[in-house]
Amino acid sequence: MRKTTFPKVAATFVVCYAFWILVTWSLAAQELIAGAVVCLAVALFTARFFIHDKGFLLLQPRRLFALIFYCLVVFPGELLRANVNVARRAFQPKIPLNSGIVKVPVHVQSTYGRAMLADSITLTPGTITMECAEDEGQLYYYIHWLDVLEEDPDKAGDMIKGRMEKWVRRIWD
Amino acid sequence: MSIALRIIIDILLVVSCGFALAGVLGMLRMPDVFNRMQTSTIISVFWLLGLMVAGVLFAALVMHSGSAAVKVVLIGLFFVLTAPVVGHAISRAAYISGERPYTPLKPDKYGEDKPYDKEGII
Amino acid sequence: MIELLIAAIFFALLALMLFYRLAFGPTLADRAIAGDAIEMLAATSLLCYALYSGRGIYLDISLVVAILGFIGTLLIAKYLEGSL
Repeated sequence: MRKTTFPKVAATFVVCYAFWILVTWSLAAQELIAGAVVCLAVALFTARFFIHDKGFLLLQPRRLFALIFYCLVVFPGELLRANVNVARRAFQPKIPLNSGIVKVPVHVQSTYGRAMLADSITLTPGTITMECAEDEGQLYYYIHWLDVLEEDPDKAGDMIKGRMEKWVRRIWD
Repeated sequence: MSIALRIIIDILLVVSCGFALAGVLGMLRMPDVFNRMQTSTIISVFWLLGLMVAGVLFAALVMHSGSAAVKVVLIGLFFVLTAPVVGHAISRAAYISGERPYTPLKPDKYGEDKPYDKEGII
Repeated sequence: MIELLIAAIFFALLALMLFYRLAFGPTLADRAIAGDAIEMLAATSLLCYALYSGRGIYLDISLVVAILGFIGTLLIAKYLEGSL
């Protein structure tokens, strides 16, 4: 079991406290004190599940900039492209079916990065990550793809992941 | 309220209603579980983003209420964070419990490799 | 602003349409997905009505549904995998 260290508790506390202030939306003294006590208790108990790495990893300027750019520019671009395609498919009188499960190699080291890439692929309509498994030293995603254009793992990976994998590596690795 | 703001909010609402209709129609018409799940992710993402922008504009510029705007943003954020978790879990569970994709000619690498039987699943 | 009320009614009608999948879906996974989608549609319908009527309490309910709603679906998924 992982250990509870001070940076982990501090990072969890900052996240919880920011959430508390956003939800209550008042700066009265009793609200702030009650929030601090509750957030400290929560952080002491859950820090070792919430943070697996160094506590303030994301605050390095390079990673923070990459994260903001990813969330505001790269990911919505991919999303818009795929969304219109799938929505048009649902309105057609006879639905064109061309779906299958493909296997795609992944080159991300950090576990956070793997989770983030899998979630991004799932949120893009048309692709759902089903499993992340290791095969002969290489990590693979099994992806259900609505419109199978390519069966070769590397080419399919380029088509599905697009620009996302490069930015995820820039954020987490 | 200015007329330009109202028109912008109306356009965003109409777009999000259209994507929600596409998602629901897809869920009713697609032939197997996995394809239905694909269209349910349309519902959860694009529809929500249009609605969130409209809601934030309305709450901040018309109602002048900061807390309502923040809550709208938080609702959108939580839906976007939790939707893919449900997607992974249900698709894997449906495959393991015996569902198969509807198109037999297309590749099914997951069934060939069967990683859920092996050790070392991450 | 009446458009928000219309959008709320539209989302509620879409949720009613999904009850077909919930009642007659051939497999358990179908019903789980339909339940999840109905939850999302209900939460956004509440959100539109909250903005229309100006009452903050509906926003709080919608926030709670957004945070806790997916846990039930996750439980069904674990049960289907046989690892519960």
